Amino acid sequence: MQKTVIQWGLWVLLLWPQHLAGSTPLDCRDDQGNLSRCTSISQEKLLDRVIHHAELIYRVSEELSSLFEELFIPFPFRLQSNQAAYSCITKALPIPSSKSEVQQISDKWLLHSVLMLIQSWTEPLVYLQMTMERYDHAPDMLLNKTKWVSEKLSSLEQGVVVLIKKMLDEDTLATGYSEQGVVQNEVQPEVLESVLRDYTQLSCFKKDAHKMETFLKLLKCRQTDKYNCA
Amino acid sequence: TMKKVGEVVLLWLLILFIHNAAGEGYSPPGKPTNISCRSPEKETFTCWWKPGSDGGLPTTYALYYRKEGSQRVFECPDYKTAGKNSCFFSKNVTFVWVNYNITVVATNSRGRAFSDPVDIDVVYIVKPNPPEEVVVNVTEDKDWPFLQVSWKPPKMADTRSGWITLFYEVRLKLENKNKWEEVSAGQRKTLQIYSLRSGGTYEVQVRCKPDHGFWSEWSPSSRVKVPEYFPQERSMWILIVVFAAFILVIFIWMVYMNFHSVKRYLLPPVPGPKIKGIDKQFLKSGKSEDIFSSLVVSDFPPTTSNYEDFLVQYLEVYVPEERELIMDEGKDLQDDSFKTENSTCDNDSGRGSCDSHTLLTDKGGGDKEDGQQSDQEGSQAEADTKSQEEALEEELLACSHENLQSSNVSNEKEKVKSWPSLFSPLPQYSLSPVNRPNPPKTGQQHCLSDSLFTPNSMPSYFTQPGPSTRKGFRSNYWECSFDHKQSHPLHPQSAAHEHLQAQNDLNTAHVDYMGAPLDVHVLNVRPSEYVEVQRVSVEDGVLLHPVSPSQEDSRTLSHQTEDYSRVRVVNNDNGLLLLQRDAIEEEKSMCPYQEDVVSRASITPTLQNSATGINIALPILDEMAASGYIDTATMFGLPTH
Repeated sequence: MQKTVIQWGLWVLLLWPQHLAGSTPLDCRDDQGNLSRCTSISQEKLLDRVIHHAELIYRVSEELSSLFEELFIPFPFRLQSNQAAYSCITKALPIPSSKSEVQQISDKWLLHSVLMLIQSWTEPLVYLQMTMERYDHAPDMLLNKTKWVSEKLSSLEQGVVVLIKKMLDEDTLATGYSEQGVVQNEVQPEVLESVLRDYTQLSCFKKDAHKMETFLKLLKCRQTDKYNCA
Repeated sequence: TMKKVGEVVLLWLLILFIHNAAGEGYSPPGKPTNISCRSPEKETFTCWWKPGSDGGLPTTYALYYRKEGSQRVFECPDYKTAGKNSCFFSKNVTFVWVNYNITVVATNSRGRAFSDPVDIDVVYIVKPNPPEEVVVNVTEDKDWPFLQVSWKPPKMADTRSGWITLFYEVRLKLENKNKWEEVSAGQRKTLQIYSLRSGGTYEVQVRCKPDHGFWSEWSPSSRVKVPEYFPQERSMWILIVVFAAFILVIFIWMVYMNFHSVKRYLLPPVPGPKIKGIDKQFLKSGKSEDIFSSLVVSDFPPTTSNYEDFLVQYLEVYVPEERELIMDEGKDLQDDSFKTENSTCDNDSGRGSCDSHTLLTDKGGGDKEDGQQSDQEGSQAEADTKSQEEALEEELLACSHENLQSSNVSNEKEKVKSWPSLFSPLPQYSLSPVNRPNPPKTGQQHCLSDSLFTPNSMPSYFTQPGPSTRKGFRSNYWECSFDHKQSHPLHPQSAAHEHLQAQNDLNTAHVDYMGAPLDVHVLNVRPSEYVEVQRVSVEDGVLLHPVSPSQEDSRTLSHQTEDYSRVRVVNNDNGLLLLQRDAIEEEKSMCPYQEDVVSRASITPTLQNSATGINIALPILDEMAASGYIDTATMFGLPTH
């Protein structure tokens, strides 16, 4: 009996710091809703975490896309590994698309590009989640992954906002660009068209997730080694 | 000559013209196929195509592309850098995350051919170059070497800035083997490899892959030789061998030290006959008078010298065929019980008695042991095999009394393999009920071994499923010996008592020759078990089983018989001479328990019924039952007088 009490005590002690650490909100919002400066985490660490986040999102979106393709897309319509449909919602965004372009833009623009991407995907992902549930044979894993990606994206957004605040000392509000590209359709699922459309959405999102990851990594390099980076 | 030259030229032209005009192979070109594009670093890319037939005419190829979202068509900027049938896109024209729609057109004078368009996104076609500067070092770590592999990313891939993220994989194999072992290294650029073969030569290769593309080719092999070292497995074997040798030495030493006890355990010595007071050598060498004087009780022969009264009765133990098997089986079981037994020697034991667990010398020790063994295991095992019918008999014999009585040796059909050495079958003495005029009082007494009633003392051949059958057994014990202790005129110093003693521990039965009350006294002191004769075989002898003393008191009071027979003499060769005691009052008085002789009612009906082969015995039993002595279901009726 004593042993178990001691064990429990030890466990509580061990887990206490984690509990404390986990409770700090990332965006350091105080009660009035004003963003205050976060002093609890360094910029470098924050950037690392953000990058890690973006990496995860990309990996899961890749899995999500291939799973969806496997389940719902007949062979003739499957995109080659290098293809994406043309109607990506974010194609109109002023985002650098080559390394040379990236080299030319500033940190600020880099960060804002990332934010733009994130914000333009927030709503479509929610919508995608809804449509997924209407599929007849959607397995739980598909729904779970979609939900996960959606959640992680919003937390990534928070992180980038804080980062912008820290690095650029700007106050930015979320959901600046969210109206773009949101397509609300009442078309019933399972019709090939809507299925293909969802498929396209997932592929586009996958690509954009990779963009976010790359930009953030480039940003990190710039922080540490300004002259040798892209 | 000029003319000739001109003619030749004309001829050539004609030939050419004809050849051309023949029209063979003149056709539009075939479609270019298999357009594939690769980017080594996500900053440039190259596309290759496979040309179709050229239609016999010189054909040119052109690559056109369109970027997504735009209808503007561009042509490949560089056909040369990447070789034949290729198009190289430089950094300026390469856009990532952008779809390209590429088409290759083959043109010759006859026509054009368009390939199928292909959509690519540079991000997904990245196949980096192999990692560079693969360095493999053998590092010594306290005699256990390991490989330290390190490499650098391909030069063109910009991993430093984060533009491209590469994952690495290492593989290695022994030089002369074919199987590669692959190890994933993540994004690290070093790797340690352990568990190497001593003295082997390894080949190591590395490759890389972006998080969204193709694996590169394997880097060229790096060879490294692992130095010889003492692998742990071999040293472990040496340790094991040394340890085993050590243990073996200790074991041998222990065996050597305890050689005798081990030998005794493994090869129990054959017991020799033992009669108290009789020395074998003495017998061999001594004079007959001396010998017999010790055997003879001085007052024994009554002056009436009615020697007929002192007929020596031999117990003949007969065991049927099937019993033999049983006892053989029991032998093994009893052997196992030896482990728990300590051999103890008693003072009056003659030579060989200490060693022997049994009295029987012939017919295998097992038989004797069968009779004597009080091993419960044995008995239980026997129980399985023996039928109820063949249940026990015990006989105990041989209270040695001076009065020889004719004992009816039952010529039971059952024969027990017992101690032929101890008992000499005397055919002339056959137990027959008819010949038993003895009243109950003078009836036979059975000295039973004590162990009859103890769990440990069950003879193996007895069916002893449980205590329930035990009541069939009687334990009588050597009352005589006890009696003698007190006093008896009839047992002078030279009285010879022979009784079978079984020591519980040893499960041995000793035939002790009691010379005197003193001896008796000694005997009494000694915690010994008595043997019950279980069966008497006509041929062979008597089967004894030990009776535990502890049980005696409780049981013998009720189950004792009046009559004893005692072992008169031990024949070296064959037999034990059992004397039946006369119903002598003094004797009776000697044996205080005589009065308590149990009525035959104690003989279990089962026993009576089970005496299958004992035709003669049964009547005896009945009679004895009436008279109150026989315990055993069998056999020999000791002759009663």
